[in-house]
Amino acid sequence: MQAVLERELVEQQWTKEQQEVDLCLDVTDLSIFYGPKQAVKNVSMPIKRHSITALIGPSGCGKSTFLRSINRMNDGIKGFKAEGNILYDDVNLLDANIDPVALRKEIGMVFQRPNPFPNSILKNLTLPLKEHGLKSKAKREEYAETYLKQVGLWDEVKDRLHESALSLSGGQQQRLCIARTLAIQPSVLLLDEPASALDPIATAKIEELLLKLKEKYTIVLVTHNLQQAARVADDTAFFYQGEIVEFTDTKTFFQSPKEKRSEDYISGRFG
Amino acid sequence: MQRRKLADKTATVVLTMFAAIIVIILTALLGYVLSLGIQQVNWDFLTSKSSSFRAGGGIQDQLFNSFYILLWTMIFTIPLGLAGGIYMAEYAKDNRITAFIRICIETLASLPSIVLGMFGLLIFVNATGMGYSILAGALTLTIFNLPIMIRTCENALRAVPLELKEGGLALGYTHWRTITRVLLPSAFPSILTGIILSCGLVFGEAAALLYSAGMTTPKLDFGNLNPFASDSPLNIMRPAETLSVHIWKVNSEGIIPDLRDVADGGAAVLVTVILIFNISARVFGSWLHKKLTAK
Ligand SMILES: Nc1ncnc2c1ncn2[C@@H]1O[C@H](COP(=O)(O)OP(=O)(O)OP(=O)(O)O)[C@@H](O)[C@H]1O
Ligand SMILES: [Mg+2]
Repeated sequence: MQAVLERELVEQQWTKEQQEVDLCLDVTDLSIFYGPKQAVKNVSMPIKRHSITALIGPSGCGKSTFLRSINRMNDGIKGFKAEGNILYDDVNLLDANIDPVALRKEIGMVFQRPNPFPNSILKNLTLPLKEHGLKSKAKREEYAETYLKQVGLWDEVKDRLHESALSLSGGQQQRLCIARTLAIQPSVLLLDEPASALDPIATAKIEELLLKLKEKYTIVLVTHNLQQAARVADDTAFFYQGEIVEFTDTKTFFQSPKEKRSEDYISGRFG
Repeated sequence: MQRRKLADKTATVVLTMFAAIIVIILTALLGYVLSLGIQQVNWDFLTSKSSSFRAGGGIQDQLFNSFYILLWTMIFTIPLGLAGGIYMAEYAKDNRITAFIRICIETLASLPSIVLGMFGLLIFVNATGMGYSILAGALTLTIFNLPIMIRTCENALRAVPLELKEGGLALGYTHWRTITRVLLPSAFPSILTGIILSCGLVFGEAAALLYSAGMTTPKLDFGNLNPFASDSPLNIMRPAETLSVHIWKVNSEGIIPDLRDVADGGAAVLVTVILIFNISARVFGSWLHKKLTAK
């Protein structure tokens, strides 16, 4: 009798914990194909709201493919096909009815190579805002300032807002791109190796920024830098040849991985 | 090791020699045309009417006609070329129809211009009944120039880094807005360079115009700006002999006593204008590029 009660109690607690976890994106059984080639194999990954989830793994294991299917950036690729579910607010993002253009306003993306538009620093922020219907110029510039401040770029650029964005350093450009993405007010940020083209100081700034941003945004971060994952991520997913080998909280992953392959990868024995 | 160095040296010398030969030929040619013609060119030559049998005629009408036909050709070519280039770079699927379109464009680009002239004669001049006219000439030149323009625009758009395009898409721009807001502005310097370069090509073209814009010009009254008047220079339904057609005609069937001088002078002007187009394409293009990239 006692034992049964205890078990029930445990089960209750367990379900309660499950419910308490606030998921932002719930990926289940996701498979992705490029023509006959399967790049992502039956991947499931619950992504918590207001947290940073890191995707790591050797080159070509499907991290970018996975990430880019969340905001449907791969739609245009010939032979691309995605099966399974990516639930976001109970809607399957892979559904044919989903408008990728509207979706991308909700789920922003930052790329490996900084890609500011060849316009002025200010215009890089105001043009997308204009595109999304913000009519007042004063409002747009106000927003620009807000988001430049948020990424810690304002003090560095406030006297040169009308200079070309391409005159900025790589790290500044990347923060500008993050600001530009934030300005259209997404709730999820997808970042594909955002710091891999940057020096350690610029990288540190980006990491600091991500930690600050996770209070308001859900962040999914692809990185080749294991230390980076260990420093910033709440959860870590280890991809290998299109499959998830291990997905758990970052601390567990780096201190006591369950899988032999994770251990090998962390200790640099392959990849 | 020694051998490889030697091969490298030889290659450098040979290639430099070829480059030098090209430069020598070009400067010799330009020098020849300009040195012969420049003495003939003066304000009077540029601003007086040509004469059909007396000496001392100018090239005013022909010069105007050349620029005016060029203007109309560009009015037709630029939008069509842009549309075609955008289609080929952004919308055309990688399939047989696209391959077929590509072959058509390439064939069109390699047709001798006299053939296009004949086509212009058949279709624009005769079939539509518009006769020898600036419009027929401009339309013929449009066909002549369109393949180049489409290719220029397509290549310029394709040369825009993919990450820039994805940047637009990821910010929630539609495909079309990504094209107009991100791709076209980035491709603009190369497109503009291409347009100016092809202006030079069109300006110098003669064969395609012989039987489309014709080899005569009516008496023009430069004070009459009513585009429907038959003696107005702006009338696009009138025949128009361009500068290069004029040079060819004077040279081959002219009866004026100073035909050598007129031909030489005309050639010098023609070459100068084309040079200006080419040089300004470079200067303008790189200036714009610099302005955009702040480098
Ligand atoms: N456009 C494409 N067409 C066909 N195959 C592709 C395409 N993009 C990626 N792939 C293939 O899908 C697999 C996963 O690629 P992906 O770019 O997702 O890897 P990744 O983990 O991001 O690698 P990296 O760390 O090098 O960025 C690879 O085998 C790759 O060759
Ligand atoms: Mg990748």
